[in-house]
Amino acid sequence: MKLELHKLSVKSLKFGDKTGFKDGTLTVNKAELLEIISEDPLLGKNIDVDIAMPGEKTRIIPVKDVIEPRWKIEGSGQVFPGMISDVETVGEGKTLVLSGCAVLTAGKIVRFQEGIIDMSGPGAEYTPYSKTCNVVLVLEPSDPNMDKHDYEKACRIAGLKAAAYLAKSCAESDSESEIETYEYADIKTGMNSLPELPKVGYLYMLQTQGLLHDTYLYGVDVKRILPTIISPLEVMDGAIVSGNCVSACDKNSTYSHQNNPVIADMLKRHGKDFNFVACIVTNENVTLADKRRSSSYATKLAHMLGLDGIVITEEGFGNPDADLIMNCWKAERYGIKTALLTDEYAGQDGASQSLADSCPEGNACVTAGNANEVIHLPAMEKVIGYAEEANVIAGGWNGSLSEDGSITVELQAITGSTSELGYTKLGAYTL
Amino acid sequence: MYKLITNNPELHHDVKNSELIEGSALDVLIHVRSLVHLGSLLLTHPLCGNLRPNHQPFRSILIDEKNGLADLDSLSLIEEAVRIYQSCRTITPHELDSSGRIDYAYIDSELMRESLEQYGMMKNADIKAAPLLLLKKEVLN
Repeated sequence: MKLELHKLSVKSLKFGDKTGFKDGTLTVNKAELLEIISEDPLLGKNIDVDIAMPGEKTRIIPVKDVIEPRWKIEGSGQVFPGMISDVETVGEGKTLVLSGCAVLTAGKIVRFQEGIIDMSGPGAEYTPYSKTCNVVLVLEPSDPNMDKHDYEKACRIAGLKAAAYLAKSCAESDSESEIETYEYADIKTGMNSLPELPKVGYLYMLQTQGLLHDTYLYGVDVKRILPTIISPLEVMDGAIVSGNCVSACDKNSTYSHQNNPVIADMLKRHGKDFNFVACIVTNENVTLADKRRSSSYATKLAHMLGLDGIVITEEGFGNPDADLIMNCWKAERYGIKTALLTDEYAGQDGASQSLADSCPEGNACVTAGNANEVIHLPAMEKVIGYAEEANVIAGGWNGSLSEDGSITVELQAITGSTSELGYTKLGAYTL
Repeated sequence: MYKLITNNPELHHDVKNSELIEGSALDVLIHVRSLVHLGSLLLTHPLCGNLRPNHQPFRSILIDEKNGLADLDSLSLIEEAVRIYQSCRTITPHELDSSGRIDYAYIDSELMRESLEQYGMMKNADIKAAPLLLLKKEVLN
């Protein structure tokens, strides 16, 4: 499989008559974009589209999801398969990417489960989405008493449609794009051509605890699957979509799935340091029987593939820590070495136990940071969304929003601040 | 026999065999621990997903109520959960305003619903038609 990402680098955004890309500027026809998302009768009349640029004194709250605009210009299938496109397999051909641009969906769903993005100030340092040119959809349900699942779905689809629309509208652009090429050989070829290298896989854990805590693979609710194998290139075309309303810091946004840095780095090191054999997708369900079944099945797949090592990323915390740990020790008992990527909830002083579960085999663990660390976010000149939500979102408390408009919260409230895919701005690097 | 132990009144009313604990999430855990000591098995994990003890005042745990020797896996999970709840700040339902309480009770119910349906515990199986995917074909295809 070979996938080319044709990246148009978006440096600025403006509203205009025709949606398109020229000289680093993405022009958005607001009326047309609004028409596309407002055709869903589940969304209300007062929906709006706004723009937020890096460095501006702007706060966006509450943010549900972040999506990178992409559109397939060659190859089978279309972006976000099974969600807004047909179910055909993706991951081959050419995909147009509006690099440096993001679609944000904002609106109240389950009030405490959404996040904050500051475009400048100390909060901006903690979220990668302060550095993207953001097209913000401010959404509301057509009926305030609407079923939350229906509304969540309406918001999710609106974000995906907007992202696909923006990229599609730039497909005819004559601007030069930067081309990144990713190749993934089938398992047999990989095994034959790289017999001397260790065989390494990626176990991709997805939050699937129930309605409103869900992730979708080709449109299928992942809590209903047995662990399965996908090509890492499929993920880049939006095969995995977030439907999560969970703590903002470590829910994997659709954007971070599309740009999964674990996959990107493993593909770069494939053929040099190891043979990247496959990506195994698994879930994080609520019942103990499901946790046991999925961890046994996922690690069995790893064993059947003859893996020597596996990278495991978690999504979320609390009882998903149990899934992470089961995946770890079950793989290790097959003789497969594990490296875990997670974040910590070690209390505001950092002194508490970081994970809810542990095992002696989990001796190679990477952390994306302590989500309980407290941060003060100064007032911004402009707020897109609803500032008062700071008092109710996870990581905030009654009184988080001060009269002067500043906010004191735990990092948990900042979208993507402790991404367990490692898609964060802050980190430690080996020099 | 399957049984739900919960301090969430909203969920309690919808479940076939449920015991309502008038108290905190920690009270629910401690009661479940007593039942595990008597031989009951845990069917769902005792910790919340994605909510710290000081964020979610409601806790609901599904067990298979039995008498006999304690199941060591269930025991270690519930002991660990109790330890975590005792080691950090918690929140009780009456500390929240009513809209907050409704949201938290709703999320607790939603996260349990799947498991309760799997074990046939819901009084009224709530079957909903999936909403139509609304897509303007000429724009996106």
